[in-house]
Amino acid sequence: MNLSYVIKEGFAGIKRAKLAATTSIISLFIAILLLGILTRVAYNVYVQAMSFKELIEVEVFLFDVDDDTRAHIQETLEQNPLTLEVTYISKDSASAIMREEFGPGVEELVALNFLPASFKVKVDTEAGVDQISNFVSTMLNQRGVDEVKYNEGLLRVMESNLNLFTLMGAGLGILILLAAVILVYNTIRLTIYAKRELIRAMKLVGATNKFIRSPFIVEGILQGFVAGILSVGCIFFIFEFMLPLYLPEMGLLGWPYGDWYILAGAMLGLSLLMGWWGSRLAARKFIAETYISG
Amino acid sequence: MSENTVIELSNISLSYENRQVLKGVNFKLRNGEFCYLIGPTGIGKSSILKMLYRDVEPDSGTVRVTDMPVNKLSMKQVPILRRKLGIVFQDFQLLQDRNVFENVAFALQVTGEKPKYIKQRVLEVLSMVGLSHRSKNMPGDLSGGEQQRVVIARALANEPRILLADEPTGNLDPKATKDIMEILKHINNRGTAVLMITHDYSIVKKYPYRTVRILDGKVQDLAWKGDKLVPVMPRA
Repeated sequence: MNLSYVIKEGFAGIKRAKLAATTSIISLFIAILLLGILTRVAYNVYVQAMSFKELIEVEVFLFDVDDDTRAHIQETLEQNPLTLEVTYISKDSASAIMREEFGPGVEELVALNFLPASFKVKVDTEAGVDQISNFVSTMLNQRGVDEVKYNEGLLRVMESNLNLFTLMGAGLGILILLAAVILVYNTIRLTIYAKRELIRAMKLVGATNKFIRSPFIVEGILQGFVAGILSVGCIFFIFEFMLPLYLPEMGLLGWPYGDWYILAGAMLGLSLLMGWWGSRLAARKFIAETYISG
Repeated sequence: MSENTVIELSNISLSYENRQVLKGVNFKLRNGEFCYLIGPTGIGKSSILKMLYRDVEPDSGTVRVTDMPVNKLSMKQVPILRRKLGIVFQDFQLLQDRNVFENVAFALQVTGEKPKYIKQRVLEVLSMVGLSHRSKNMPGDLSGGEQQRVVIARALANEPRILLADEPTGNLDPKATKDIMEILKHINNRGTAVLMITHDYSIVKKYPYRTVRILDGKVQDLAWKGDKLVPVMPRA
């Protein structure tokens, strides 16, 4: 296949059908931009939720146990896959903390030495409430453990909200993607319809369907590229300039995974993919259905 | 199919939405032969051409073009068949956004020829149809006759063994018609077989070649008897 011809024709196709190409680029641009915004916001919501979860600790209160039992409990806690960090709070340390938190008026109460020793356990932020509950039940069955406490209610509310947000975000994302593919598909179909004379002439002189299709696919990829670049530029503009300037109370919504090029690359890649896919789908169907004799 | 035959239709039947157009058609075109296909509108002349370049498939029978069993070809082989044919229509089917040179070069670009060969071959076929001086003009700048000559040049670019022409002079004035017929005659003299559909009996009379008509779904050879075309009786 004459590659330079295919690429030249792909570029020329955009020039020849400016309106259709512009419509296609704008629809893709809007879809990719919306997805980009959604991803950036969703990522930051997720990060926030995780940092809240980091604050949640499981407290394991002990009876008055000997050192061996305490060491055994600590070992059990440390071996659990959900455990990130275990801190031992002795009875004395607990009294000191109480003194520090409630001030000098609690001296008599502290003197009773009624506060139990405990372990503070930081759990993996990825762990679900049910996993933590299982962990708690296991610990309650341990000899020497009196009570296990954590903020289950808050965790459950947070988890269900996060699940709802993820579901809604994913649903919206899929809808946006679908709408964009349909738009690209229809625009390319219209472009192909507008060029049916060219397609008929190409078939007439013995061009293969693949050869006829190729410039349309190059055109779709180019449209995807332009739309991708525009949407990445727009994301920069919105999050780096507009939001800090006009909505500083929102704070800085960081780039997913800390680096700008991950989201920018994903957006550009997705835009190219959709341009390619939409044009390929339309070109395959409508070129095969075009007959020389009309 | 003998080596001397470039087109062979055997026992072809074709119908469109329950209307039978062709019934058991048999037809052969020999290498280098010129043949007119005549008959009233809607009788199935263009359908025969469409079957030859595989835009339509017959209900039954076999179609062969050179060594290719047309109605048994896979879709991938169809472009190879079309490269063996030069096809000319009444409506010129030129690409209006490309100049004359590009319109002709296009036939060679799609087959993957090298730019140097394309340039040389395009100038060659344009000179064959007398349009070398118009290579940079757009189709819109040309007369109907000139546009049809560009279409013929494009059809010849791939050096086909057969030229199929569906009323190539249908939209042209007498002068342009004469020019086109002279070109077709010249092409035929160089060894290309020509199968031409026409309604114009004056052409058939002025440029006498084998003439066949479609009647009652079958193909029938005709010959001039005085001013009339009459069926040729099959030899006993």
